Amino acid sequence: MPEEKEFSEQDSLQLIAEMIKKAKGSYHDTGIGSLLWGAVVSIASFMSYLQREYNFTLLIDIWWLVFAAIIPQLYISIKEKKNVKAKQYDNDVVNAVWLVFGISIFALSFFQNIVPVQTEKLFAQDGFTLMKHYTDGRVDEVIKPFTPSLYSIYILIYAFPTMVTGMVKKFTPMKVGAIVTYGFFMLSLFTQSKYDMLLGSASALVCWFIPGIILRKKYLAQITLNV
Amino acid sequence: MFKELDPILHSQLRLAIMSLLISVKEAEFTFIREKTNSTAGNLSVQVQKLKEVGYISVLKQFKDNYPQTTCKITPTGVLAFENYVKNLQVYLKVGK
Repeated sequence: MPEEKEFSEQDSLQLIAEMIKKAKGSYHDTGIGSLLWGAVVSIASFMSYLQREYNFTLLIDIWWLVFAAIIPQLYISIKEKKNVKAKQYDNDVVNAVWLVFGISIFALSFFQNIVPVQTEKLFAQDGFTLMKHYTDGRVDEVIKPFTPSLYSIYILIYAFPTMVTGMVKKFTPMKVGAIVTYGFFMLSLFTQSKYDMLLGSASALVCWFIPGIILRKKYLAQITLNV
Repeated sequence: MFKELDPILHSQLRLAIMSLLISVKEAEFTFIREKTNSTAGNLSVQVQKLKEVGYISVLKQFKDNYPQTTCKITPTGVLAFENYVKNLQVYLKVGK
């Protein structure tokens, strides 16, 4: 770019627009994070559904896979951060939303595990217990407290950061994924919890895995162009 | 009615640098060089001029044993850029 070339006001405006466009178009998500989480959550949810549908138990809790995925995610984040040559303003917003999402998911999993145990203890202190009463004459059973249809809440939470990311980044596949997931959430209110798992698996696919494939394709196409 | 266009910004490469930096939080020197298609020497001179008037801040550090220069627009730079665009719009309106 020659420094002292005479240029008109019109040229100035054109240059500003061109540079802003270049800066905005410089960031391309690699899509790896979306693919990773889409695959992991989808597999974990689908396996949970299969276990309930066909009454079998795996040697380990499949949801540990989700916790384990934090390690490659950290590696990906550090590696991607090193390669970024220009920091975008909206990345801070998107990163904050996903951080809050991660904290919320962990908090919800604690809620899921702690509340039933504590509820049972409190009920015991008050001298009563929950019973399952059959209307067909079978003998009543003692049951442990549980949160009905909790996986619906997970599905609802999956949609939230996806929609924000889609809106901030103006990335339609994520917006569509989030809208479909809100639909799955509504549907899950009427289904048995095992089918909620199946809907959760589908949610992870539409929210993250499919947008991840699109992001990856775009990223690879951009890399090819730059070579 | 006409305000003179800021001579610091009314220069092709400096305006290109400022336009890039107004769009991002911060950018590495190599990024600016790549996007503006300028030479390292010319870019260094213009970056220095923008730094001297307080329009941008420049951070020089080492990353993985390599020198890394990061540029960031300052609040003064944002204000100057906004005024420049406003004045530019006045010129273009009158010129129509």
